[in-house]
Amino acid sequence: MKNLTLCSVVAIAAMVSAVPAMAQPADQASHLDVNQLFATTCGWCHSDGGRVAGKGPQLMNTKRSDDFIRYRIKHGKEGAMPAFGSTLNDADIDKIIQYIRALKPEQP
Amino acid sequence: MKQKQRTLALSLTVAVGTAFAASTAMAQAIDSKRIEANNPNDWLTYHGSYNSYHYSGLTQINAKNVKDLSVAWIHIPGHSTRGLQSMPLVADGVLYYSGSYSRVFAIDGATGQVLWSYFPELDDALVARQTHSPYNRGVALGEGKVFVGTVDGRLIALDMKTGKPVWDTKLIDSQKLTIGFTGAPLYVNGEVVIGSQGGEWPVRGMIYAVDATTGKLRWDFNTIAPTDETKKTWGNDSWRVGGGGGWMPGGYDAETNTIWWGTSNGAPLYDWSGPDWMHNGARPGTNLYISSVLGLDAASGKLKFFHQENPHDVWDFDSAVGEFLMIDRAGQKYVVHPNKGGYIFVYDRSANVKNVWPISHNINYAKIDPKTGELTDRRDMTAGKQAEVLCPHISGGVSWNAGSYDPKTGLYYKIGNEWCMHLEVVKTTPVTTPQVQLNIGANFTIAPPPNGPIYGHLDARDPITGQTKWEVRFPEPPLASVLSTGGDLVFVPDARGTVHAYDATTGKELWNHGDGTGHQGGIISYAAHGKQYVAVVAGFGGMASDDYAPTFGGVFKSMPRDDGALVVYSLSK
Repeated sequence: MKNLTLCSVVAIAAMVSAVPAMAQPADQASHLDVNQLFATTCGWCHSDGGRVAGKGPQLMNTKRSDDFIRYRIKHGKEGAMPAFGSTLNDADIDKIIQYIRALKPEQP
Repeated sequence: MKQKQRTLALSLTVAVGTAFAASTAMAQAIDSKRIEANNPNDWLTYHGSYNSYHYSGLTQINAKNVKDLSVAWIHIPGHSTRGLQSMPLVADGVLYYSGSYSRVFAIDGATGQVLWSYFPELDDALVARQTHSPYNRGVALGEGKVFVGTVDGRLIALDMKTGKPVWDTKLIDSQKLTIGFTGAPLYVNGEVVIGSQGGEWPVRGMIYAVDATTGKLRWDFNTIAPTDETKKTWGNDSWRVGGGGGWMPGGYDAETNTIWWGTSNGAPLYDWSGPDWMHNGARPGTNLYISSVLGLDAASGKLKFFHQENPHDVWDFDSAVGEFLMIDRAGQKYVVHPNKGGYIFVYDRSANVKNVWPISHNINYAKIDPKTGELTDRRDMTAGKQAEVLCPHISGGVSWNAGSYDPKTGLYYKIGNEWCMHLEVVKTTPVTTPQVQLNIGANFTIAPPPNGPIYGHLDARDPITGQTKWEVRFPEPPLASVLSTGGDLVFVPDARGTVHAYDATTGKELWNHGDGTGHQGGIISYAAHGKQYVAVVAGFGGMASDDYAPTFGGVFKSMPRDDGALVVYSLSK
C-alpha cells in the first residue's frame, strides 16, 4: 500500500503559530495561498502542483481520507516527508486538503 | 525579513577516559603529506586523493582476471533511510564509512569484522522536519581521527582506534535554518573543511574550517555576499535570503595551499525575472558567489580567485559537485570541474577558463563560450508555464557523484545524463520563520528529451578537450560514483543494482555482479594484507533516485528506500 506524502509550508509568516494545531481555535482563518505553497516547497516532491507522482505520490484523485492527509502533513513520514505540524495550523491544513480535493488535470 | 546566520562555534570537548591526546599513536599518522603521497593500498580522502582522480593504482585485479571477482564480505549498517550515499575510506587495512543519520563504522578491510561503530544522537524533531535528510555522504580522516558532519549542523571527531568522540562542534543553527551537513568533510593541514547543504533554502550558506585537534572554528566563508561589493550583485537586499552553501567536499592544491570548493545555487531556485535579470525578479544581479568555484587560502579562508560558472543561476545547475581534477599536461597545470548543468569546465590553477565542453547531449538552458566561459542563449524564464522542456532535469546532466581520471589512459570516465523537465515558474515568498523552508519558485515534472527517451551514459573522454573515446549507454541514468584502476578497469555501479567492470581502453564489458539494490554512492579500491578489494555502497532512495519508480517503473517500483549494504569484492582464485 502506498503512503501518501505531502509537502507544505506556511506562506505568510504572520500566520505561523507555535501552539500545537490541535489547541487552536476552530474558527481560525487561513490566509495560505496553496498554489504558491506548492511552488515554494511541496512541489519538490509532488510534481505539477500535486497532479502527478514525483518523489512523492500523486495527490490528485487520492483515495486517502482527510484524517489521513491531516495526520501525514502534521507528522510527516521518516525519510520521505517532513513534518509540518509546527508550521501549519488546522485551518491551513484544511485549506490544503480542499486544494487537493479540487485538483483537476491541466488543460492543454 | 532580516536573517542573521550565526556560527555557533561551541566546541564541546568530550571527555574520553583521561586527557585527549592530540595525535593517536598509529602505524603512520594521517596528515596532508600522507594524503598527498596517495599510497594505492589506502583511500584516505573522499576523492581518493587531493587531485580528485577517484583512481586506484592497484593492479592485482585487472582486465585479464576480473571475471573471477566475487563477494568477499558484506556489511549491513541497518536503518539506511534514503539508502547509502557515502564514499568509504581506508587507512592501514581498516575501512571507515558512514550511513544514514551519520552513523560511522570501522571495519577490518580483509574480514569485514566490525571494529567499532558510532551512532550520534541527532535532534530527531529537527530531522523529521527536514527534506534533504538523513543521508550522509562520507567521512574524512586525519591526525588519528574520523570526522563526520550531521544534518543537525554539527561536525564530530571520533578517535580512529576506538570510535569514541573527541570533539563535537555545533556550526549551524539548524533548528532555525533547517539545513545541516550531508557532504563529507575534507582534511587539509590540521583543519577540517565542510560546507553547509542547501541552495534553495533562504539562508546564507557557509563553508567552515575547524581545527582538527581542538574542534574550534578556524575560519568560515560566507558564500552569499560576504563583502559590501558582492552585496551589490543582489538587488533589493535579496542576499539576506540568497541560499548558497557548498554541499560536497572540494579539492586541494598543495603547491599553492589552495582549497577549491564549489558553491550551491541561489534561493529561490527558479526566478521569474526574464531576460532582464540584472534588474528584475527575486534576486536581480549575478548573485555572488552562488554556482561558483572558489579558490580559498587554506590557512585563512581568504578568497584568492573564483569563477562563477552560472551567473544568476536560475536552473539549479550549481557548482557544488566536488571534483577538481588536477591534471598536468604539456607544461600546463589544469583543474577540471564538472558543473551540474552538464558542462565540464577546464581551468588553469587560478580558475581562468581554458575550455568548456558538454558531457550531456541535451542541454538547452544556455550555451557556454569555450574560450571565455560566458553564457549565451540563456533560458531566463518569466512566471508561468514554459512552452519548451528545460534540459537537463533538476537532478543534473551531471549528478553529484564522482567520475574517475585514469592517468595511464589519460581518459576521464564520467557519467552524463539525458533528461529534461516541464516547468511552471511561480512567484514565491521566502519563509524564514519559525523555521526556514525550501524556496523553489516552480512546479515541475520530469520529462524525456525532445528527441528520445531518458537515458544515461558512461563516457571515456579527454578531460581537457572533451573528445570522446568511447561511450556506454544505460537505460536509466546511473547515479553512483565511478572508479578506474591500474588494472585497466572502469567500475560503474548502476541504478538497477548491478556493478559493471569495463575495459578502460575499449569500453568492453568484462564483468558484472548484482548487489540487490540500486547504487547512488561511492566505490573505491584498497589493499589489506596484500590482497586487493573493491568496495561499493548499495542502497537507493535519495533526492535523484526518488524519481525512478514513477519514471521507469520495473525494478524501481519495489526497490527499498530505507535499506543498504556495503559490498566488498576480491578475486576468488
